[in-house]
Amino acid sequence: MSQSTHSGGWNYFTLALALLFALPFFSLIVTAASAEENVWGHLISTVMPGYLKNTFLLMLGVGSGTLLLGVSTSWLISMTEFPGRRMLEWGLLLPLAFPGYIIAMVYVELLEYSGPVQAQIRLWFGWNNFQDYWFPPIASVGGAITMLSLVLYPYVYLLARIAFLQQPATLLESSRMLGKSSRNSFFHVSLPLARPAIVVGVSLAMMETLADFGTMQLFAVQTFTTGIYHTWFGAYNAPGAAQLSLSLLMFISVFVFLERYSRKQQRSHTKNSIHIPHPRYKLSGISSLSAFAFCLVPVVFGFALPAGLLIQWAAKSWREVMLERFFSDAGNSLILAVLTAFLAVLLGVLMAYGSRISKRRRIRWAVRTVSLGYTFPGPVVALGVLLPFAWFDRTIDAWMQESFGISSGYLLSGTLFILVFAYLVRFLALAYGTAESGFGRITSAMEDASRSLGKNTWQTLKRVHLPLLRGSMLTAGLLVFVDVMKELPATLMLQPFNFSTLATRAYGYATEELLREASLWCLTIVLVGLFPVIFLNRQLRESAPQNYLESDHD
Amino acid sequence: MIECRNLTKNYGTLAAVSDFGLHLQEHEFISILGPSGCGKSTLLRLIAGLEVPSEGQVFLQKKEISGKKIILPPERRKFGMIFQDFALFPHLSVEANIAFGVNGSKSEKQKRVRELLKLVSLPHLAEKMPHQISGGEQQRIAVARALAPRPRMILMDEPFNNLDYQLRLQLRRDIRDILKHEGVATILVTHDQVEAITFADRVLLMHKGKLVQSGTPEEIYQHPQTLWASSFVGEANHLKVEWRDSSLISPFGSLDVPEGIGKETRLMMVRPEDFILESRNDHEANGIVKTVDFSGSVQIVGIELKSGETIQVSGSPHLLWRPEDPVKITPERYLCYNSSGNRLNGFSAGNASK
Repeated sequence: MSQSTHSGGWNYFTLALALLFALPFFSLIVTAASAEENVWGHLISTVMPGYLKNTFLLMLGVGSGTLLLGVSTSWLISMTEFPGRRMLEWGLLLPLAFPGYIIAMVYVELLEYSGPVQAQIRLWFGWNNFQDYWFPPIASVGGAITMLSLVLYPYVYLLARIAFLQQPATLLESSRMLGKSSRNSFFHVSLPLARPAIVVGVSLAMMETLADFGTMQLFAVQTFTTGIYHTWFGAYNAPGAAQLSLSLLMFISVFVFLERYSRKQQRSHTKNSIHIPHPRYKLSGISSLSAFAFCLVPVVFGFALPAGLLIQWAAKSWREVMLERFFSDAGNSLILAVLTAFLAVLLGVLMAYGSRISKRRRIRWAVRTVSLGYTFPGPVVALGVLLPFAWFDRTIDAWMQESFGISSGYLLSGTLFILVFAYLVRFLALAYGTAESGFGRITSAMEDASRSLGKNTWQTLKRVHLPLLRGSMLTAGLLVFVDVMKELPATLMLQPFNFSTLATRAYGYATEELLREASLWCLTIVLVGLFPVIFLNRQLRESAPQNYLESDHD
Repeated sequence: MIECRNLTKNYGTLAAVSDFGLHLQEHEFISILGPSGCGKSTLLRLIAGLEVPSEGQVFLQKKEISGKKIILPPERRKFGMIFQDFALFPHLSVEANIAFGVNGSKSEKQKRVRELLKLVSLPHLAEKMPHQISGGEQQRIAVARALAPRPRMILMDEPFNNLDYQLRLQLRRDIRDILKHEGVATILVTHDQVEAITFADRVLLMHKGKLVQSGTPEEIYQHPQTLWASSFVGEANHLKVEWRDSSLISPFGSLDVPEGIGKETRLMMVRPEDFILESRNDHEANGIVKTVDFSGSVQIVGIELKSGETIQVSGSPHLLWRPEDPVKITPERYLCYNSSGNRLNGFSAGNASK
């Protein structure tokens, strides 16, 4: 088979790439298994109960928070009409631009004891110190839940909204004709039909919650991610950190499974139907005002207020901060992001193409494993990358010492190379997925035509696929670029000595309680984060069927 | 049981339905026939309560259910509706789909579901999901679901459109039998004249939002109310005529028409089968055969008249015609229409007259 189609070389290439990027995962398993004493027993008796409790609280809180915010806003936006709806339609996506740790920093500054809100309250009521009154502590599990719900609900909003818009009007009408009121029809038809999409959205939010490091660290909430960081950096206990990583991955895998299963279910729900969306319910008076106010709340607290504060602080502080420091950090972030985006797109396209032309299941399976990298939290990836490279450096060094009596020191550890490799492990899936869906639009007949006209696989890739894939490649590059700019924990764990990016410097300021000084850094990250929001909004518009007015008249 | 009075629905300046009247008896089957975009689906949705009329009323058992004062919501009308895309709930099994509108205890629901699955001859599909069954099966399940709550009436919106030809014929017959067996009044909306005619006792012809004609299929075919109706239902030849010297002059010579009718007549309509076609020599002929389409039971002969017009005539398959044959052609039955395309009542030539 490989003889006749000349894809044998491709098979090995694709497989090798897939294995390279699965390396961190295997290294975690090996390290976890290499523990000399029973680390599990130690973990279970010490930190584990706290991690589990916090993790469950966070999942419960962020799960219900994103569910309530996401479903209610998406239903109002897609099924009703009220003044200001169009503006809120894209406005509701804006909080996605805020990484959890940045919104957390802003609210800490705003709501802590010495912050402006509490100061004002003390002034109003004449209280002198914290013993005089109670104020909900922001650095708490509840605070973390609120922060993450505010920036993660757009996942649910986005997917539920598409699901509501794609429901054919005839289904709701059938339900009405069969005796269910419009309210009953929502609970019996609309909501169950949107359920797979909602589950996908909540699963994504859950994965982000489990992977979050910055917010938890700032709020001193002990979870697996912060645990991995401390076990490694605090105690240099590699097997312990690896075992915590694997436990965390087990949690995450539940949501990975849930997400994939629901996507499949969703596909069977959208088969065989004519897409005439239900006409919007026209809201009037009080109800339209309440709908507007309700949808405005997450936009204000998830975007407008924190962004406004950052702008204000940045405008005040930029003269005092060291601008050369800012530009050097921005330059570092930019170089890393561009380099990673370029490599990710290149490798993503090659792997997608290799997987496409390969008829072997093994290859496709291997490639699919790589796409799981996106679900690995930053600290897990960092650890998984660090361990094999450290082993490599030690082995070379020992060999050099033995053979030549000189030390080679650390060849790879602490270099940008390993940082970029870690980014690729984490974000390659993004580029691969986008490339794969781009390839999906190119029919195999086009390939066959090119091959029968005398072009080999490389020439076909260059002359047929790449020109057709340009759009998806740009998208993939953009998404990876933005994610690298925002990335905190892996960078923190792997960055070379005396090197920092926008994200790690902002975080550094935050740990020294210099939040206002960090505002320029934070604002830059948020601005970059707006790009994918614009992109998502465009996608949202394209997915909405617009033809119902014409078809209604028949 | 259902009556529509002056029913009108405007979308902006477009009148989708205008001044429509309709009366449906218990157990009656009617079909609303019209080209796409004529407003027939909107009419059905007005009756269903899915649309609010701009003018006019709908009555159920003499009680107003749609009008200026009252709009009874669709869920309280107890009408069953069958959609073009079947609209089965994709998240529910076949059983659960059928039970969706049934009230009562669990065992009552189960009993009703079993009855209906038996009625549509698909008891083995109870636990399947809609995407696992074929289009024809989905259609029957949609019928079962609509019948399950024992509706007062069934409304069907182009229900056979999504099926291929063979399946369509079969299902049309089956579903008609099922509905007749249940004795439930039915309104079918369709653009397919064969479907409208074979399904219903009475056909309502609709054009540009207006009722053109209501009657049995034979009445509409034999006495189309307008020229448009004559060519929408069946094939028709329209020929110009002129009233001159107290007689109606046609391409076939002068016609015997009373003066009151003849003076108003501008066009005559003749069905292809209503001509007498005879072979004659050039001198006596009034037309020449131009095309012949042989299709087994009939042959359609295209004839160019000496007056220059072309007509379609169906001829007996036993006598074969060839292009360029000279023929004498005489209209045996015809109807007269005035300048606005409406039929002039009180006269029809030939056996078709009553």
